[in-house]
Amino acid sequence: MPEAWRQRYDIEVVPLKVLFGEETFRDGVDMNNEEFFARLATSTKLPTTSAPSPGDFAEMYTRLAKDHDGCISIHIARSLSATAEAARIGAQSVEGFRVEVIDSETVSMPMAFLCRVAAESATLDQATGAVGDRIRNCRVLALLDTLRYVEMGGRVSRAQAMIGTMLDLKPLLLMVDGEIKSLDRVRTRSRAIPRMVEFFQKDSPVEHVGVVHAQAADEAEQIAAGLRGKLPGLEVPVGQIGCVLGTHVGPKALGLVYIKK
Amino acid sequence: MSENRFPGVDGPLFKRALLGSLSWLSANHEEVNRLNVFPVPDGDTGTNMLLTLQSAVEDIKESNAAEVSKIAKLASHGSLMGARGNSGVILSQIFRGFARAVEGKSSLSPAELATAFEEAANAAYRAVNKPTEGTILTVAREAGRSAAAAASGPDSTVPAVIAAAAAGARAAVLKTPSQLQILRDAGVVDAGGFGLQIILEGMLKTVEESESSLAALAASRPVASPAASQVAVELPEGGWGYCTEFLIEGSNLDLDRIKNQIEALGNSVLVVGEPELVKVHVHTDEPTRVITLAGGYGKLLKLNVGDMSTQHRRILEGAGQAAGAPRSNGVGLVAVVAGKGLVEIFRGLGVDAIVEGGQTMNPSTQDMLTAIESVPYDEVVLLPNNKNVILAAKQVLGLTKKNLHVIETHSVPQGVAAVVAFRGDRPGADNIAAMKAEAERVQTIEVTHAVRDTRSNGLKVKKGDVIGLINDKLEFAGTDYGEVVNKALSKLGADSYELITVYRGEGASDDELQKLESDIRSIHPSLEIEVQQGGQQHYPFILSVE
Repeated sequence: MPEAWRQRYDIEVVPLKVLFGEETFRDGVDMNNEEFFARLATSTKLPTTSAPSPGDFAEMYTRLAKDHDGCISIHIARSLSATAEAARIGAQSVEGFRVEVIDSETVSMPMAFLCRVAAESATLDQATGAVGDRIRNCRVLALLDTLRYVEMGGRVSRAQAMIGTMLDLKPLLLMVDGEIKSLDRVRTRSRAIPRMVEFFQKDSPVEHVGVVHAQAADEAEQIAAGLRGKLPGLEVPVGQIGCVLGTHVGPKALGLVYIKK
Repeated sequence: MSENRFPGVDGPLFKRALLGSLSWLSANHEEVNRLNVFPVPDGDTGTNMLLTLQSAVEDIKESNAAEVSKIAKLASHGSLMGARGNSGVILSQIFRGFARAVEGKSSLSPAELATAFEEAANAAYRAVNKPTEGTILTVAREAGRSAAAAASGPDSTVPAVIAAAAAGARAAVLKTPSQLQILRDAGVVDAGGFGLQIILEGMLKTVEESESSLAALAASRPVASPAASQVAVELPEGGWGYCTEFLIEGSNLDLDRIKNQIEALGNSVLVVGEPELVKVHVHTDEPTRVITLAGGYGKLLKLNVGDMSTQHRRILEGAGQAAGAPRSNGVGLVAVVAGKGLVEIFRGLGVDAIVEGGQTMNPSTQDMLTAIESVPYDEVVLLPNNKNVILAAKQVLGLTKKNLHVIETHSVPQGVAAVVAFRGDRPGADNIAAMKAEAERVQTIEVTHAVRDTRSNGLKVKKGDVIGLINDKLEFAGTDYGEVVNKALSKLGADSYELITVYRGEGASDDELQKLESDIRSIHPSLEIEVQQGGQQHYPFILSVE
């Protein structure tokens, strides 16, 4: 979520959590991305992640209820996280406040695109309709530098990624409709990045597109610059992958994320 | 006069002639193996030709066909099924051409025999994409020419035509170094051509023996020649097991008895020779029992212990399917590869069946065909992963009803690159284009030791030197792995690449591996180095640069 959008569209964020052993950090609140990846590099044990609690959501909704009638609450795919379920339970404990809990069936910046779509709608109903129409069109193209993190996190098996070998392959994954599937496996980054952009171009046209990265800002900016040249009129924001997603994709992951038209 | 004395080449005679060839080649194939032009350890031309010929004869062993056409057809089929290595494949094409030429004939006159020899050579030329002079092809052609010249006279006989063919072959073999620079540099004649010469000489010996038997029996049909009776060949049934070869030196050795006992322990049994010296070849699961048994008869010589595992080939069935579920594109993958680690890598990448083989252990066309048939897909991609396997791999195209694609991968790195590019959800044609493109993109460096002194590609190489090959071509020699690898990397312009994968062979120690890694890092610090346990023989290191 680009910081500018949070302010421009008045978007509130309930953070997921990352746990290094006994220590719990709220993503982006108690720990920023730099701190996270620095700790990840030196940590002998991989961190784990957890959804916000229903109480976290109840707290947020209670605060919003003071001067709003309702809200749209957009969440990471249910297939990956219990967040949306926590939100649903949290919403039940707030009387007289309408919460439209949305399973975005996606992850990362496309959720920000959906928030923007909602924010640009006139009413909550329109927002819910506009967001609902776009969920099926959200795409996350992810190029991982290694399969290790996503495999440890249990979200993708080696078999799913078509990587059953000791060979260090770079998987190119696509998340769509809440499911992660393997698009390709590539030996080197320099070959993988054009492959990712090529796939994106075949999947055009798009309404929103952005590039996300974990400690790979230069490559992300390069990809974004290339896209801006080809897609005038689109903003193409570059965002950092946070602590929680970073736990599952690992350093040097790159994402090309978009909503198809 | 002469025609009465020697009526012509009919089925039984041709069968005996081929058995004679097999016997003679089995006695001499090590000589052929030694004619190794390249300093890399791939001197297996003789073995490949022997195994090919053995397969040709396996099919005719049980046949009592009177017509030469039937025997020739069986030999053609059998040699094709067992074809191994480039020379073996060309030999199978020679048999094929011969069989075509004699189609429908029950017996060959001397002139018809000569024509068949010429046609056999023509077929071999046609089978090869870019025929090279100074090879088995030239030798086959010259044998045919000499045979034709000998057949043109009015008093020509079958033995005279075969003798001329063998003499023509011999003369052509001696000329091969003047036709091929690599032979000249290495100071050897062409191995495949020499193998063909031996095959023709084996025929000649049999026919001459038949002739003398004929003379003795005054025009009656001779019994089986001594050469032929010493040959025993069996089809492998329960798989190949270990190929075990040795000589037994003794006195009054009973070949039949030895053969019977060894047959109980394995298949593809070959027991040939004299009462004083017997050559044994067997595929067995119990090599130690064979050795113990044979040791009771006399002194064992040239026991091929090293080859027991290198010749060992199996079809490793599926199990390695990374994707688990059947592929949506319905395309199967088969790869030829050897070395425990490499086999695991290929299986892990989703290869459905693996044919064990590679350098100095070229799998037969039959091995590859079996693997392809075992895969539960009608469309199959075959990766030979060695330049010496490509020709045999391409022969499978004509033998399977499946839609087979052979991607001509010359090396392990090319094979890995091709498999990595394979996707189970993409149609065959797109996959093949992507696999070819990726295989061509990767650079291969192979590091081994010279097996002999030689000159090759302008380099003077001493036996034991570390030699480095870039994409199959000998480029550097030295005394140290790191030195040779760094020279090869510099030649490739390695700093424009990203990743080096080192496949460590079984001959490389931990210290050698560590030293190689640090040597590469010191010169090319920007390259990522990944080490994989390949377990391949002969090459301490194979490097992929991409």
